[in-house]
Amino acid sequence: MTDSLILGLSSGSACLATCGMVMFPYLMAGSSGVKRIAVDLSLFLITRFVIYFILATLSWYFGQALFSNPVVRNIVPGILYIFFAVMLIWYSIGKNRSPNCPAKIVKTINNNRLVPILLGLINSLGFCPALFIILTKGATQGTLVQSYLAFLAFFIGSSIWFLPLPLAGKIRKKEVLKNIGILATGLAGIIFLIKGITNLIGGIING
Amino acid sequence: MKKVKIIAGISWAIFCLILILILFPGLNSFSGSVSKLPFMKLNPRYTGGEIANQVIQERCTLDIRKPVFNGFLKERTSGFVQLDWHGTIPEMIKDSIDYDHDGNMDFCILVDRKNSKTVLDPISKKVKGVVISTPTSYGWAVRIGLLK
Amino acid sequence: MDNTLKVAGMRKSFGKSLLFTLPMFLITFMFMTGGKPNFSDPASGLAMLTAFLLVNVLYFFMHYTGKTDRYRAVLFIIFALSLSYTLIHNMLEVRKSMSFSQADILECKIPFCHLVIPMMILPAAFTKSIIFPGSIISGFANISSMVVLWLVATLVLGRGFCSWGCFYGGWDDGFSRIRKRPVIKKISELWKWMPFAVLLMVVLSAALTMMPTYCSWICPFKAVTEFERVTSVESATKAGIFLSLFGGLVVALPVMTKKRTQCSFLCPLGAINSLSNKITPFTVKIDKDACNECFKCVGVCPLYALTTDDIKAGKVSLFCSKCGKCVDACSRNAIHYGIRGIPSGTMKNFSRNLFLFVSFLFMAIFSSGSIINTFHGLLKLIF
Repeated sequence: MTDSLILGLSSGSACLATCGMVMFPYLMAGSSGVKRIAVDLSLFLITRFVIYFILATLSWYFGQALFSNPVVRNIVPGILYIFFAVMLIWYSIGKNRSPNCPAKIVKTINNNRLVPILLGLINSLGFCPALFIILTKGATQGTLVQSYLAFLAFFIGSSIWFLPLPLAGKIRKKEVLKNIGILATGLAGIIFLIKGITNLIGGIING
Repeated sequence: MKKVKIIAGISWAIFCLILILILFPGLNSFSGSVSKLPFMKLNPRYTGGEIANQVIQERCTLDIRKPVFNGFLKERTSGFVQLDWHGTIPEMIKDSIDYDHDGNMDFCILVDRKNSKTVLDPISKKVKGVVISTPTSYGWAVRIGLLK
Repeated sequence: MDNTLKVAGMRKSFGKSLLFTLPMFLITFMFMTGGKPNFSDPASGLAMLTAFLLVNVLYFFMHYTGKTDRYRAVLFIIFALSLSYTLIHNMLEVRKSMSFSQADILECKIPFCHLVIPMMILPAAFTKSIIFPGSIISGFANISSMVVLWLVATLVLGRGFCSWGCFYGGWDDGFSRIRKRPVIKKISELWKWMPFAVLLMVVLSAALTMMPTYCSWICPFKAVTEFERVTSVESATKAGIFLSLFGGLVVALPVMTKKRTQCSFLCPLGAINSLSNKITPFTVKIDKDACNECFKCVGVCPLYALTTDDIKAGKVSLFCSKCGKCVDACSRNAIHYGIRGIPSGTMKNFSRNLFLFVSFLFMAIFSSGSIINTFHGLLKLIF
């Protein structure tokens, strides 16, 4: 669970840095006080939770079907970890990162009620390397419960960053937080790169 | 206001000068006070836990420590129990251990000190394997992995 | 003419410099000898005398020449080398190896270092215990005394600890001085936030694993102190990481950039010390009236603590370690040591004298043990 939580925490900060400023005005649109903000934020987080729950289930079943051989179970995820970790590190290097948030699509939606749910959907299904890594992890867990726990840790880690979203306008040094978040994402990439290499070596030795 | 700031700044700097002057002569005393703070004790994951039971053997003593499942916010599902032999230890150590004091043996352990080989025979399903087995300055120590 | 006068303002006459060195002379004498110099063992006596003279001559020259960094760096680098020598020498004598064994961990015999402090905080708060296999109060480099030393030094010097107190900083400081001109001149501003990202990661991972993860997996200085014996793929990976980070961040990059890259881009304690720069009484100030915006100070800063924007705004950033390199580079004395609350451009001499006394005294006493020990070892080796 530790590495999932760290992955969530690091990628969550970078995710907030990229998407927070897009999501903030929509989450707050037409808001009439703390209650409305809390409801919108809860809808957003619940949507993410549900999506991750579904992904945890799907990834585990796919993992069971695809990685039945114990050697393949180490080697393939090892390669996937290395590939996605390199992607995550690549993403953390400024010039390779897309400055646009996919959540911009909500600009076309008129129904304010749907906005937090759509944002949650887009945010949790955004094809980022961190999601690919957690999918790989979910697929290689021994039991379905362990897969749920990995996703839960990832959800908690990444959600913490969204909780102060209502205060986003008051944070003075957003650029600093963004920089630290992006660098932390790169570090999480390095952790998973080492994990991938260890898995791969373990798989080759056992094979 | 400007004068107040200047005086406050200089006073703070002078205080820091005094602090540095007394730091080294008073280091033992300051360290002694800090060591008494409630959090200044080593985590059981490092000390091996408190001694729960002492078994006096023919020429040596076996300390069975309390199982350690220590975690950050809550106890973990896996941990270890540490065994320490001290005194005049035989070349081959062979002991049966009941670490949870339920009256039933949980595992048997055999340590061949000469060849640094440790063989664990788990009886309880909670016993996972040997984590560490090493000579120490006082004799020999073993950590056995456990499930809660 | 005007410039010359301003630089001369930081210099002192021979007699005045001696007078300013006298308190340092007396205090270091008391600390190094305990008031009773002992020459019964000539090698020990000579080692002590050499260390004592070295410290006081360097301090004298700081006043006599008006320059800070070059004399600070000499002691700082010797401190780093001598500490590594002392540690390695002790380990080779006691353990016959630079690596520590599982028994050393089980018996909590690992010397504590200040880099563990950030990782101690959360477990200490939540579990009321320390996650390090060292000794709380007794023995060499025990946890309590190292915490006290770091706490006081950080309170007094802020990030100045990284240039006046850290016994590792001298390594990359030394390597950053090897070349005359840098090979790599431009590094993205983004990287200077890396220590905060490392801090975030190691604090969290240490709390969750209950292990000082920075020490176990990252610390480049394991390469010159002590590390876990290589007995498995994991310990070999760790040793590989230590060596490559030391080679890259402490040796190669400082040589190529002329910057202290380990301190700038990795050290999590540096991040905490940067924050403490907000409360320390001693700062580096910019006298905007005297500054002609030549930006020499920006170029020489070894920690990426100064940017052209900072100079224009008249403020140094929180990354400043008060090493004095920028102060020495400024021909107009526009960037200078200051005291919080005192307006920039005023009381420059007073602020510098007070800061130098406090910071140099800390470094001199903190380093004296290992320097004497190293000189003693070298003398024994020669004779």
